[in-house]
Amino acid sequence: MTGNSIQSTQRSGLVLQHVSKEYPVKSGESVLAVSDVSFGVIENEICVLLGPSGCGKSTVLHMMAGLIDPTLGSLTLDGVKIHGPGQDRGMVFQGYTSFPWLTVEENVEYGMRLNNVSAAERKERVDYFIARVDLSRFRNAYPKQLSGGMKQRVAIARMLANAPKISLMDEPFGALDAETRWHMQELLLDIIDESKMTAVMVTHDIPEALFLADRIIFLSRHPGRIREILSMDFKQGRRITNKEELIETPGYIELERNILRMMRQEASEDV
Amino acid sequence: MRLTNAVLLPGPVKVMTSFVELFGEKGYLADIGMSLYRVITSFALACLIAVPLGILMGTFRRVEAFFNPLVSAFRYLPAPSFIPLLLMWFGAGESEKLALLFLGVVWFLITLIMDYAKSIPTDFINTALTLGGNRKQILWTVIVPAMLPNILTAMRQMLAVSWTYLVIAEIVAADSGIGAMMMRAKRFVHIDEIMAGIITIGFLGLFFDILLRAARRMLFPYLESND
Ligand SMILES: Nc1ncnc2c1ncn2[C@@H]1O[C@H](COP(=O)(O)OP(=O)(O)O)[C@@H](O)[C@H]1O
Ligand SMILES: [Mg+2]
Repeated sequence: MTGNSIQSTQRSGLVLQHVSKEYPVKSGESVLAVSDVSFGVIENEICVLLGPSGCGKSTVLHMMAGLIDPTLGSLTLDGVKIHGPGQDRGMVFQGYTSFPWLTVEENVEYGMRLNNVSAAERKERVDYFIARVDLSRFRNAYPKQLSGGMKQRVAIARMLANAPKISLMDEPFGALDAETRWHMQELLLDIIDESKMTAVMVTHDIPEALFLADRIIFLSRHPGRIREILSMDFKQGRRITNKEELIETPGYIELERNILRMMRQEASEDV
Repeated sequence: MRLTNAVLLPGPVKVMTSFVELFGEKGYLADIGMSLYRVITSFALACLIAVPLGILMGTFRRVEAFFNPLVSAFRYLPAPSFIPLLLMWFGAGESEKLALLFLGVVWFLITLIMDYAKSIPTDFINTALTLGGNRKQILWTVIVPAMLPNILTAMRQMLAVSWTYLVIAEIVAADSGIGAMMMRAKRFVHIDEIMAGIITIGFLGLFFDILLRAARRMLFPYLESND
């Protein structure tokens, strides 16, 4: 039912309708990783997929990217069925994916080269995004000279310079220490806000989700399905780019506690 | 007793003087040159086949499915068991030796390079795909550059094996080369010259190992580690 209503109301943007994914495991058996998931990503929003690990967040994101196909259901972007990966859906992965044989500058430029963007435009966008992620001093450095946070900044700049319609991020800060993570979240929110991008971000970190999200899709597991869609009413329609301010905003604590309770339930159902 | 010992196990001075004699009067430099020629030519041929085939097998499942049974089977066949066949096909000339050296390394080289190609992180390829890359672009801009240092490592590993087959080839049937010199020396019980041959091969092996390591360091300064 929800799927049909989404179909009738939203044709633009990224839409999932009754999407399920089964992974084959040995000898004819299979696991149902994602079950009957329907939702749409609204233009210019930051949509966060939150849930305990193993609930199918990465699977959903990989289907959006076109890296894997759904077993059932359909995914469309602006009404066109998603068929394989493409330039219009950029992705940042949890692990470090900066190409070690390219400098920071060449990494950021890489996607545009694949898509035959003119040299002048490449240079302009490289300059802009390298500055935007504070890597100007490192533009000729190789990834081995960079910290984990810097490598993820390269990956983010590389995706954004390629001008995708939608940015998909799979726990991009999962491997970073708390301090770096905090800084990266603020930087990312700033960039997304400034450039009015549409983004889908996967995380299992509740404060990260609350800080970045315009809307949270909470997934439960076994099988992975939507448990609840949470709108960030307490933000009153604006983005709060300062973490202290966010935490002090009325309604934040209640929502955090509510989500924490859902996480706990998910965990206890496991035992 | 003391006499036989000195003959069968010559001291270092004796071995050193035999080097002088070998280079000065017995044309040893030409023998070494011949051996180097055989190793390098056959190894270059093996690389010419193994590098592209290994990369394609490691990248495309269908290519692997097609070639792997053949490659695996040949890997288990000892190359020297082909010597009688090769001698009948090519005679005792250069082709027979190059063929033996080629057969001795090519299957292992293919497998090594295939395994290296398979170990390229999936997320590297997924990154290129989500940036809009097609298969051809990914082959040339991700897989090949990611493979280059590995190719050099695989070559370093297999070049050592190539020297082993060189000695076998030259001992079986050759009138030139380091192995042939050692067989001549055996006939005249010149143990010191045999020792000199062994030392030469060890030295050349070490030389190539150091050379390829240095090349890897110089060509790929961006690597995290350098082995
Ligand atoms: N390639 C795969 N083959 C088999 N099972 C998989 C595969 N990928 C994921 N799964 C399973 O699907 C479920 C969801 O995985 P995933 O999407 O990675 O969850 P999350 O990202 O939320 O941690 C898990 O139970 C996981 O074990
Ligand atoms: Mg995941």
